[in-house]
Amino acid sequence: MLAHQFAMESPFVQAEAISAYDFYELSDQYAVSGVPHTAIIDSEGKLIGTVVGSAPESHLLDEIKKALTQ
Amino acid sequence: MKENIIDDETIKQIKDFFIQIDNPTEIILFTQKDNCPSCEDTRQLLMELSNTSDKLTFSVYDIDVDAALAKKYNIDKVPNIVIAGKTDNDILDYGVRYAGLPSGHEFGSLIREVVQVSKRDSNLNKDTRDYLGGLTKPIKFLVFFTPT
Repeated sequence: MLAHQFAMESPFVQAEAISAYDFYELSDQYAVSGVPHTAIIDSEGKLIGTVVGSAPESHLLDEIKKALTQ
Repeated sequence: MKENIIDDETIKQIKDFFIQIDNPTEIILFTQKDNCPSCEDTRQLLMELSNTSDKLTFSVYDIDVDAALAKKYNIDKVPNIVIAGKTDNDILDYGVRYAGLPSGHEFGSLIREVVQVSKRDSNLNKDTRDYLGGLTKPIKFLVFFTPT
């Protein structure tokens, strides 16, 4: 999973694959309607970015940059 | 005796795939005694998986009993799987987590990432590595999937 690969490159990044079946309430909280659905959150748990569907490396990188410059 | 979750043919395929494992890799599972319907199946699945290679080790902890360790790995839900590197003296935490029973497509993804972690290399482009290496603020990806 691409997000896991991203996590490997920084001690500040963690990536958690979450079964929407096992954690349906959390899925509802993040308005997951199609998978994969990637929510990017900051250290306080605030949602700072969302990617719906599979994304190539460059797109996920752009989303992080956008999220961190908000 | 409880029936195996992974059939013999799949075990053979996994063993062949895990020839690619370069370095010792630790699979850590956090469970909970109650309120975790998929914890036991996840535990058995990972036990069978870890038995396919002598470069894999498997440990199980309880999120309540081992609360300090759960906090160290930032675990807030169970079952939760950590795929980490292992040296003689240390566990190398790469921030790789799986929450829930990894079935179907995600099981294949988990197997590939065991190999990825064992190589201690993300296989990302230089630009991506440089940017991520310069981060100073924590972020977390929550990637939702459905079992297929």
